[in-house]
Amino acid sequence: MLVLRRRAGESVFIGDDIEIEILAVSSQGAKIGIRAPRETVILRKELKLTEQQNEAAAQSVSKKDFEQALEKLRT
Amino acid sequence: MAQIETEYFGTMSYREDSVFEFPAGLPAFLNEKRFVPIESPQHSPLLFLQSMTRRGLCFLALPIQVVDPDYRLSVASEDLVSLELAPDRQPQLATEVAVLVLLSLRDGVPPTANLMAPIVVNLQTRRALQAIRQDALYSHQHPVPPVGESAC
Repeated sequence: MLVLRRRAGESVFIGDDIEIEILAVSSQGAKIGIRAPRETVILRKELKLTEQQNEAAAQSVSKKDFEQALEKLRT
Repeated sequence: MAQIETEYFGTMSYREDSVFEFPAGLPAFLNEKRFVPIESPQHSPLLFLQSMTRRGLCFLALPIQVVDPDYRLSVASEDLVSLELAPDRQPQLATEVAVLVLLSLRDGVPPTANLMAPIVVNLQTRRALQAIRQDALYSHQHPVPPVGESAC
């Protein structure tokens, strides 16, 4: 992972058209602003992970080995 | 009783007042706003969350108490508002809300539960949402310990 130190008011660019600006930093966290093309999807990581996890969860019951997998849940 | 077509259980009867209402849907399934919880004695304490609009969409869930009896609920205040609960304190498990975690079963890997984003249901109104935690205390792929007794 690339690690940079930036202060409030400073930015970085990712490629030509995505700019990430540090707006404020406090003990509560960092406030960041993102300028990106409209079609760029920006998600909090927790939401992205939950989407992926829900997709996987939705497949679970259709598995052929569903009953078998359930057995694993029992001792 | 009303009936619902399901892919895995065939036609099921359900009570209209048992339906969980997700006004905002679930992440990755934003259009699925109503789910019927299906309990089956042979799979207890496992719960099936069957979509009312997609017969092939059914989640497996466990009550959070079964997966982690010490789980510390942390529902964001805006989520509490959506659930029509007091926004300034965490709700009481079992009396005010039911908390379920969705399971993922994958080949060759032990089952996991998403403890980072539990399903929280207002027991009085049946309004529900997937409450994504802002902290990093719990994993989205928490290994599920063996639960319950073998049915046979």
